[in-house]
Amino acid sequence: MRLPKFDYVEPRSIKEASSILSDDPKAKILAGGTDLLVNMKHRVELPSVIVNIKRIPELDFIEEKNGSIRIGALASLKSVYGNPLIEEKLPALTLAASSVGSYHHQIMGTIGGNICQQNRCKFFNQSKWWRSSREPCLKTGGETCYVVNKKGTCYSSYSGDIAPALLVMNATVRLESNTGVREASVEDLFSGDGKTPLHLEGGEILTHVIIPEKAATGFSMYMKFANRESIDFPIVGMALWASMERKEVRVSFTAVDRRPIRARGVENFLRGKYLSEEILGEAVGLASKEGAPVKTSLYSPSYKRKLMGLLLKSALKEAMRRQRR
Amino acid sequence: MKHGIELKINGDAYEVLVSSNQTLLEVLRDKLGLMGTKRGCDLGACGACTVLIDGEAYLSCITLAMDAVGKDITTIEGLSQGGDLHPLQRAFVEKGAIQCGFCSPGMILTAGAILDEEERPTEESLKKKMAGNLCRCTGYKKIVEAVLSVAKQTETED
Amino acid sequence: MERELDVVGTRAPMVDAAAKATGVAQFTDDLILPGMLYGKILRSPLPHARILRIDISRAERLAGVKGVMTGQDIPDRKYGIVPKAKDEYALARNKVRFIGDGVVAVCAIDPEIAEEALELIRVDYEELPAVFDPKEAIKEGAPLVHDDVPGNISASIKKEFGDVEAGFEESDFVFEDSLYSQPVNHAPLEPHAAAAQYDPLNGELTVWSSTQIPFFLRRNLSTTLLVPESKIRVIKPKVGGGFGGKIDMYAKDFCACWFAMMLGKPVKFVYEREEVFIATRQRHPVYLRVKTGVRRDGTILAQQFSAHADGGAYNSTAPLMITLLGFFLMIPYRVPNLLYEGYHVYTNKPVGGAMRGHGVPQARFAVERHLDMIAERIGVDPAEIRIKNSIHAGEPHPAGFIIHTCGFADTVRKAAEAIGWHEKRGKLPFGRGVGLAGGSFPSGVSNMSHISSGAVVQLGRDGAVNVLTGAADIGQGAETVIGQIVAEELGVPLEDIRVTAADTGITPLDPGTFGSGVTVRAGNAAQLAVIAVKKKLFEFVAEKLEVKPEDLVARDRRIYVKGSPDEGIALSVALKAYQYADLPMPIVGRGSWTAPATEPTTLLKQGGNFSPSYSFMTQAAEVEVNPETGRIRVLKMVTAHDCGKAINPMLVEGQLEGSIVGGMGQALYEEVVTEGGQVMNPSFLDYGIPTTMEMPETEAIEVETDDPLGPFGAKESGEGTQVSPAPAILNAIYDAVGVDFMELPVTPEKILKALQEKIAEKR
Repeated sequence: MRLPKFDYVEPRSIKEASSILSDDPKAKILAGGTDLLVNMKHRVELPSVIVNIKRIPELDFIEEKNGSIRIGALASLKSVYGNPLIEEKLPALTLAASSVGSYHHQIMGTIGGNICQQNRCKFFNQSKWWRSSREPCLKTGGETCYVVNKKGTCYSSYSGDIAPALLVMNATVRLESNTGVREASVEDLFSGDGKTPLHLEGGEILTHVIIPEKAATGFSMYMKFANRESIDFPIVGMALWASMERKEVRVSFTAVDRRPIRARGVENFLRGKYLSEEILGEAVGLASKEGAPVKTSLYSPSYKRKLMGLLLKSALKEAMRRQRR
Repeated sequence: MKHGIELKINGDAYEVLVSSNQTLLEVLRDKLGLMGTKRGCDLGACGACTVLIDGEAYLSCITLAMDAVGKDITTIEGLSQGGDLHPLQRAFVEKGAIQCGFCSPGMILTAGAILDEEERPTEESLKKKMAGNLCRCTGYKKIVEAVLSVAKQTETED
Repeated sequence: MERELDVVGTRAPMVDAAAKATGVAQFTDDLILPGMLYGKILRSPLPHARILRIDISRAERLAGVKGVMTGQDIPDRKYGIVPKAKDEYALARNKVRFIGDGVVAVCAIDPEIAEEALELIRVDYEELPAVFDPKEAIKEGAPLVHDDVPGNISASIKKEFGDVEAGFEESDFVFEDSLYSQPVNHAPLEPHAAAAQYDPLNGELTVWSSTQIPFFLRRNLSTTLLVPESKIRVIKPKVGGGFGGKIDMYAKDFCACWFAMMLGKPVKFVYEREEVFIATRQRHPVYLRVKTGVRRDGTILAQQFSAHADGGAYNSTAPLMITLLGFFLMIPYRVPNLLYEGYHVYTNKPVGGAMRGHGVPQARFAVERHLDMIAERIGVDPAEIRIKNSIHAGEPHPAGFIIHTCGFADTVRKAAEAIGWHEKRGKLPFGRGVGLAGGSFPSGVSNMSHISSGAVVQLGRDGAVNVLTGAADIGQGAETVIGQIVAEELGVPLEDIRVTAADTGITPLDPGTFGSGVTVRAGNAAQLAVIAVKKKLFEFVAEKLEVKPEDLVARDRRIYVKGSPDEGIALSVALKAYQYADLPMPIVGRGSWTAPATEPTTLLKQGGNFSPSYSFMTQAAEVEVNPETGRIRVLKMVTAHDCGKAINPMLVEGQLEGSIVGGMGQALYEEVVTEGGQVMNPSFLDYGIPTTMEMPETEAIEVETDDPLGPFGAKESGEGTQVSPAPAILNAIYDAVGVDFMELPVTPEKILKALQEKIAEKR
């Protein structure tokens, strides 16, 4: 399958990259390429120009600074989970990064790229020929979302592994353009709209990921459930952060909605409570009601809901176990 | 858009004229006649197209040729020296880790990259890192045995 | 056969392993010829439609496009892998019958232009009602996939051996179960490919194809291209896996040839992975019903079996598959009375064809699950019930099979022991369990026409041995095994052997790689060819040594008198003398072998020995089910396999280990999912063939029974092991969580649902 034709540039600075992006709304960033290039072979993404940002210096780093851990957007997933600082202080992120795809994807893929990945759907992630069996779906410029067989809204799922780990640590991202810089919470980065999943203004590039260490102290983990234990996207992925002493948890799911979600219903319920079997059971029930899974993949929404509860239960039990030590 | 680029492959500098939309896999096979790197799925999900870029395992079917400029690329053709097989190649041959052979170049290169970084991986760690190289023939058992036998060799050499 | 062996029985590395390890081994897509053109195929996006109009004008005008063809341009000659079931055209004529049916082919100076050209083609269709469920397809009024096949049943067979009703009468218990086996894709790592070159001066076509059967491909090409077979040469390069999916001829073969002939340039077609999933073949999904009557002690008295195979849009191996499924109900257990009904039903979906086991895995799935359930219901141990019902060598067989060697009961015992059956079955904590399943497979098929294999061996003055064999090595190591047999018979090391194979222009006829018969057929043929060489050589040497030829033996690159190694000469000396005596060099021997059969039948006739020999195996699995998440892990898989004699134990292990993981894939991870006839997961991302992370611990136990018909006693080992891993795993799941699963695959989702239902039932 050949890639479509495109112009190719290798800017040497964020400003340069950002200018190109803001001038041409059909320009796209190339980081690792594991998402974009596959989608281009499928002709669901057709950038006019590809902006390879890997030549821009100072976007590949991991450091501790001012009470937060800062990771450059171009840090490979492998470098993230291989970093002793991350391993020690951000176990959820370590687990999430090492669960993405396969070893090759972890070498090629970047943290920024994984966060900003395109939403997924069984009607979207297919070749152009495959999709010619029906009118273009809403996400590709047509009218109908075939997942729900309705017009107006795209229900494609966000399926990245990194985002939920960042969400439970209240992480933020630095967005830079040729006109300025801003910081946004990871949560606010996601629009919840399947067609344009990210809130990025003209020319904005995600350059740093910032995790406040205070928010991360405690127990954290990421659990991924998929058909196989490599290569696959999650059927459901869940990140949990917990502090037993403060009686607080943060829970995030991926692959259950159009964006990665914080399970606030569960979090509110568990706040201040001691985790008995009964409380656990109720929390599991609440988890299953979070998000809005639809049949964007081969796996049914009801099964995803079940998994959400199961993963939460496993994670909470593990959190309790760890705290006892 | 066509670009004249230089690619450093197996220690040699190749000058090629490429389009920006050509992948490294296409350039290796279609332009340079290096057929050892295989096209299994062309979408980065099987590992048959694995090459090493600066010693790391990459999926060449989703790597732009332009993006590989200035890097050290190793394909399966670059593994053996002279007439001798690389220890991994020899182990694969002797332990029956090759059946149809289509996954073998990618498999061997990935294994080589793993051992270069981690001289004596545990079986668990090895399996996790090789999981992106699919094989339909062998059931993986002899592949894992072959790689671990090479890792063990370095142990006895110390 | 009491005979000391030097080469046969050794763990010799494959003769082409080093070439594969270094990347120099040539697969079809690695072939580049000067001026080569590249082809692509436009396929139907609709499951069932009439083709009204095809507008190729814009494609033809695209710079770099050299040819465009449709079904209307090709001769009106159908083809198919089974002569009496030909129902396919290389490109659809008038109608498309599934999403993926090939409609237009283009070729261009490079693949990118060919891809672009496809987008410039406009096909107008009149959509027709489609049918996707075989149970709907056989109903009256269902849309007809092929207008000339009423009820969409393209092949059927009904056979009775003995008297089933009487058998049920006599039984203490009669049980009936319904099961379903899902569609599975071969998923070879190498996509299907073909290249062709035409010489306009002598009218000869040379074809390189990733194929399992060069000779069948030649015949099919001849029939459809209207070119005599004598003008077609099919060469098999290295094949990156086949598993049955590269038996048929495909559009890529035909179109490469057609364009080569029209344009006078070499042409190559390579399928995208998506095309492999959608437009080649798959394992037939089958709806199975089995009813068995047993005595109190578990002895099987009668069985009634029905199979509805969802064949997809074309036949491929339909009559063969639906027959095999039934015949293989008769081994490894003694079934004195059997009534079998099999139907191959057309639907507007991807096409079913031969896949490792070819109907037998589906049959075995049903019988082995059913047998386990019977054992449970009547309180007999599942291993015991299998041993009890095992057939034995030399026994008269209800279907007329001739079983020379049968190690089945032994395989059950050994597999059970290796998995720890007595310590574990019914005794492990909830979530852990063991299960086993038996099976049997033919070592090639008899009773089919033109199923002989030929070989030619040439022994040159330099001592190098050239073997010409038609055998198609697709990665299983056929060339190595044949080399070992020749080396053993000639008394030389394997390194002296050079195998030239699978080239219809050079090598003798071979039926191809299917039905697990290569070692037996081609191995025997090669052995006979060597014996013919030895005859000539020994006659000469015997005269020189003044002994009788029958007193001589060849070993260690020497020819000497049996029992007196010093009384002989070196092979090199003998060959030199032979040449100097002006006798024709190289010494050439030919051999041909066909399975003994009473008459050439086509299998569908009543009874008859099916195969020269039968392999037997038992698989035992230990699984762990996480009752919280439903995740199933196969912890260990044991396979005890009676393959007669392992010509190369390392290669046999390779087959067993590969089959186990393939079977496990079918049991737990794989399914071709369709919606409205459309394959939803045509990629290696969404179709889950097992990775290293899914590997179980495996143990392969070879049970040697030394078959009289196989070369050096060998029987098959390439397919048999993939017939029973799935039921073994499901039987283990029953032991682990007490749920009987009646369909494949078993996924975590299904486990959770079943456990929930169990809890609800208890209340």
